[in-house]
Amino acid sequence: MHQIPVSYQRHSSQKHSSARQTNLKKIEKIWWASLLLVFILGMVSLVKGYLLEGMTSTNLSNVVPWGEWVAFYIYFIGMSAGSFLLSTLVYGFGMHQYERIGRSALLSAIVCMITAITFIFLDIGRPDHIFNSIIYWNVTSTMAWEIHFYILYIALLVVELYFSMRVDLVRLANSPTRFAKFYGFLTFGYRNISDEALQRDRKLLQILGIIGIPLAIFGVHGGTGSIFAVAKARPFLNTGLFPVIFILSALVSGTALSIAIYVAKNKVLKRPSDVTMVRSLGSLLVMFLSIELALEWYEFLIGWYGVKPEELATISTMAGSSWAWTFWLFQMGLAMFVPLILLFLPKTRKSITWIFVASILTIIGVVGVRFNMVVPMLIVPVMNGLPGGNYYPTVSEWITSFGLIAMCFLLYTIGEKLLPIDQYEVVRGEANDD
Amino acid sequence: MDIPKKVWDSLVEQQLEEGRAILDRVDYNTELGLAMAKGAQQVMKGVITSDQFYEKFKQAVEEEFGVTFQPVKESPKNPKSRAFGGKKWAMVIDLAKCVGCDTCTVSCKAENRTPPGVTYNVVIEDTVGTFPNVKNINLPRPCMQCDKPPCVQVCPVRASYKLENGIVAIDADRCIGCRYCQVACPYGSRYFDFGLSYEQEMTGYDAVQASEYGVAHGRRTPTKEPVGTVRKCTFCMHRLERGEEPACVETCIGDARYFGDLNDPNSIVSKLAASPRAFRLREELGTEPRVIYLK
Repeated sequence: MHQIPVSYQRHSSQKHSSARQTNLKKIEKIWWASLLLVFILGMVSLVKGYLLEGMTSTNLSNVVPWGEWVAFYIYFIGMSAGSFLLSTLVYGFGMHQYERIGRSALLSAIVCMITAITFIFLDIGRPDHIFNSIIYWNVTSTMAWEIHFYILYIALLVVELYFSMRVDLVRLANSPTRFAKFYGFLTFGYRNISDEALQRDRKLLQILGIIGIPLAIFGVHGGTGSIFAVAKARPFLNTGLFPVIFILSALVSGTALSIAIYVAKNKVLKRPSDVTMVRSLGSLLVMFLSIELALEWYEFLIGWYGVKPEELATISTMAGSSWAWTFWLFQMGLAMFVPLILLFLPKTRKSITWIFVASILTIIGVVGVRFNMVVPMLIVPVMNGLPGGNYYPTVSEWITSFGLIAMCFLLYTIGEKLLPIDQYEVVRGEANDD
Repeated sequence: MDIPKKVWDSLVEQQLEEGRAILDRVDYNTELGLAMAKGAQQVMKGVITSDQFYEKFKQAVEEEFGVTFQPVKESPKNPKSRAFGGKKWAMVIDLAKCVGCDTCTVSCKAENRTPPGVTYNVVIEDTVGTFPNVKNINLPRPCMQCDKPPCVQVCPVRASYKLENGIVAIDADRCIGCRYCQVACPYGSRYFDFGLSYEQEMTGYDAVQASEYGVAHGRRTPTKEPVGTVRKCTFCMHRLERGEEPACVETCIGDARYFGDLNDPNSIVSKLAASPRAFRLREELGTEPRVIYLK
């Protein structure tokens, strides 16, 4: 099942080794330079807009108090929860056929979580009061619970990533690399890599993974969905299905992200990808997409059937106003039917390239899904007669957002560079405990 | 010249009728009445306790009036309900009297010095019916000061809370400005302070801010609270505390607004709230607003 064409890789690397190396260096330089450029631009716009002009640099108003940054916040939360849940297949349930994406999924979960929190931190009106959210805990507030769950969740992710990498950190610390000292520090003094100790690590990873599942589902992502779903003033959100759809779209975007990272990395490094694993992840993705489609069908059917004016107005804002392209092109197109078709057709669902394309399209499309969870319900006035809203992010909001997305990529790349995340060489037996 | 206090007192006493003369006019025992009045004075001075007072006159009262003489039972309420003098404020708006002149909106802005974009009170106007049976309707909308406020429920930091006097308050020094309450409010009554100012149109606008809930925030600057926090109608609590009505109630040209204590069954708002014309906005949501409309 796990034919890693090691021999092929070794051959080719010997042949074109030097040419490939320089080519890689070039790609890497372009990658760093462009990300840094976008990141710096984003920070400039952040200082100029958010810091100097305050919230007036956004197009938010009292009718539409939440906008792009909230949409990106739930986008990255979803990506993180989805990636993490995928990693629990490896660490929690011992499905070692996905071993190669385990650490990378954990790292992307951490990085996405950091990005999400940065987005929502920008969105609040008084960042100087932020610690109040930890000091004063309103037990009836879903948001207060979320803030605490996020902290717990990040801690769990970091501990889990540490234990999943520990064996390699110790090896690196004992090797003559330049950063041996750094890796030595990262082992936090625990350098026992006897079989017994590794067995203990695996057990711990399993426990953390299992604890993490309810934490990620109910605490982090279902909870974030509940922030929206409990708002009874907004009938479109106020359904029991809403948090479940949130979780499903998290699984969709998290799986897509893991596929995309794995295949993209191999493509750049000119290594062949593990076909069986990518196909298997592709079928996971198509399963999550189908369930999400079914849930969305019921969500819209019941909302529409109920003929509540606010609900109908929200649906028509979403699907029939000047914002409709976000719904039809992004939510229904890129994040639903295009990947569904690509992953159903026998010709494309077996091709790594097409699965990769489907994943990338999904990742882009889910941005539209997240926007449509936030903006349309706010555009519809809460009471008949109050002014209706209008929202389109300002240039400043866009540039800041792109800067933060670049920050996300940068953090991930730094993580990949510094830490033993890449598990290309891993063979099934090595991390297997049975 | 310093006039001694007893001179003033004697002026009052001249006007007062003798207690005995008043009691003589009724059929009941005059001596008992005088003794009980003396006893009551002793209770007030703390010479005897009220229990002793009741004990002392129990038999005599029963013989004279044929009723059992016992203290009026005080309701075992928690001390919290006595906060703000046990008042529970409510507003009644008579829509039949409202002409939609927006005086309430303007006086509210003047009283609370709210910045551009922040309007605690708005008048929603609409035309209903089909020609020729059409009608212009107006709906003044302050904060409903709900008894089950969704905004308080969702606030992550307890910056928004319900006061014992019925008012939903916001602590600007605690609010993080996440605007969750704005999304949760079914009446659109909450406003985020984006930091805008009328300084361009009105010299000195920034010089001072209204001390909402009795908290003075001083000069308005782009970095200081309440900028960056959520704001809302306070029922003009700073006015209530000095015995005045909210600005919108005081200035309403048609006296369409009534304000008072819903804990007091004899207050005008209590009586109007019992009217068959009374209704509250979006009652199906279970928010129990303290603003009552009359159809």
